Amino acid sequence: GIPSTSSFDLRSYWTALIQEINQKLDESIPVSYPQGIYDAMRYSVLANGAKRAPPVMCITACELFGGHRLAAFPTACALEMVHSASLIHDDLPCMDNDQVRRGQPANHVVYGEDMAILAGDALFPLGFRHIVSHTPPELVPETRLLQVIAEIARTVGSAGMAAGQFLDLEAGPNAVDFIQEKKFGELAECSAVCGGLLAGADDDDVQRLRRYGKAVGILYQVVDDILAEKMKNEEREKVNKRKGKSYVSVYGVEKAVEVAEDLRAQAKKELDGFEKYGEKVTPLYSFVDYAADRGFSIGG
Amino acid sequence: KNSQILDGTPFNFKAYMVGKATSVNKALDDAVPIKHPEKIHEAMRYSLLAGGKRVRPVLCLAACDLVGGHESAAMPAACAVEMIHTMSLIHDDLPCMDNDDLRRGKPTNHKVFGENVAVLAGDSLLAFAFEHLATATPPGQVPPGRVVRAIGELAQAIGSEGLVAGQVVDIDSEGVEDVGIEQLEFIHIHKTAKLLEASVVLGAIVGGGTDEEVEKLRKFARAIGLLFQVVDDILDVTKSSEELGKTAGKDLVADKVTFPKLMGVEKSREYAERLNKEARELLAGFDPHRCKDE
Repeated sequence: GIPSTSSFDLRSYWTALIQEINQKLDESIPVSYPQGIYDAMRYSVLANGAKRAPPVMCITACELFGGHRLAAFPTACALEMVHSASLIHDDLPCMDNDQVRRGQPANHVVYGEDMAILAGDALFPLGFRHIVSHTPPELVPETRLLQVIAEIARTVGSAGMAAGQFLDLEAGPNAVDFIQEKKFGELAECSAVCGGLLAGADDDDVQRLRRYGKAVGILYQVVDDILAEKMKNEEREKVNKRKGKSYVSVYGVEKAVEVAEDLRAQAKKELDGFEKYGEKVTPLYSFVDYAADRGFSIGG
Repeated sequence: KNSQILDGTPFNFKAYMVGKATSVNKALDDAVPIKHPEKIHEAMRYSLLAGGKRVRPVLCLAACDLVGGHESAAMPAACAVEMIHTMSLIHDDLPCMDNDDLRRGKPTNHKVFGENVAVLAGDSLLAFAFEHLATATPPGQVPPGRVVRAIGELAQAIGSEGLVAGQVVDIDSEGVEDVGIEQLEFIHIHKTAKLLEASVVLGAIVGGGTDEEVEKLRKFARAIGLLFQVVDDILDVTKSSEELGKTAGKDLVADKVTFPKLMGVEKSREYAERLNKEARELLAGFDPHRCKDE
């Protein structure tokens, strides 16, 4: 659950925010002709159980600098749209060939591969369009919108998430660090940075958000990997009780736990630099603990 | 070049296209350098730099010129529309879509780099089009408000209200008996004309055109977008493969609905004439020396 180090109630903060985000997302993809493509887009974007971590991060970072929540919602929705688009394409048979996503059949399983490709192709531009058409101009100057759009485009492109997916497919032994950083780290980084940009944070603060977001993103994934490994080991023990945990996997988990501790410390250190903004920084701290502590406690 | 026209030298369309396409090719080459991971960038460059007439980027540059903007103001937008066009071709050619092995006489992207890389190269080109438009458009020449507007136009033209909608209806109508003229026009307006429209509109916006000029050019682009398709359909049934440089009668074989199929060749020709005239009329009022075409 929620770490005792924070009195901030992350769960109710997130729950409330997720509800608002889900409602905005629902409104952002009205069904029109041809209906099939809208059904496919909505199926993935509005899937139950999505944690909405990128949009929440974006809104929280915007509010840290006194930005209005309404200034951040369109970008928050756009982050979720490009996130969904890349997941839809990652799941395709020619990619990871995943049949299930968030407990539901993958997009291409329901709508076919051609529609899944097109749903992704439509969600990327819808994200950019949504930012342009829905961000209140009196809250965010156009120069900042351009920075936000460039940030998101860079993050999903050939040096960002697409690169991560490619390296994931190639999966060379030395590629691991890069994949974690790019594929999972960068959306968190991008989300935090976009929030700061929308609120008009100065360059130093945006750079600090960048380092914070990057650390949280990688931390989130490292912990995912640790949990997956632990689960695998438990399964293995159930299957064959005489056989202990493999030496390699134990060593791997221990090393990963160390890395996670370092990342948590790094992320918090960055946030210490936002002290002057008072209690508004609290949600960002709780993000770090949440990323680290889901389901088990690092370092006992 | 305008002085040449004023001197009475006839406008050389072919030389104009070749000249502009050369500038576009150079800009595209510079825009997408090889970097890590190399294979994705090679795949992006393979299709992006494979030639082609560069109709969309040249229209973008011409529209910018027409409203009095400098070429450098529109070059990033011109590259962006070509990147989008290329990504849509890469994804269109995939086995789960049209399953084409050849494009412009070369093996298609997925044949060379594999399906997974082809999907990612397309996605990357899509994203990069927006990044390039946002970051490479010279801020000294084009105020940020115009760039934001251009991004909105491009995004609308290629998504579920534009290019993708055309592809979806096209897929849905394959093999269907009773495809009507409205549905056929929907397909072409969305699959072909929307991106042509965006190309022209983006050029006019970043070039500093007035709202009235932008809207007039939008209508012009819609007309020529449809004209392109009607003529393409006519050529498919009236010319040989040799004359076309590609397989003739391909639409008939693929059981695709076409204008000649729905209204006959003669009526299709008349329709093309009408669209041609309409497009010319929409250019009336602009500086005649800047929209000369013959």
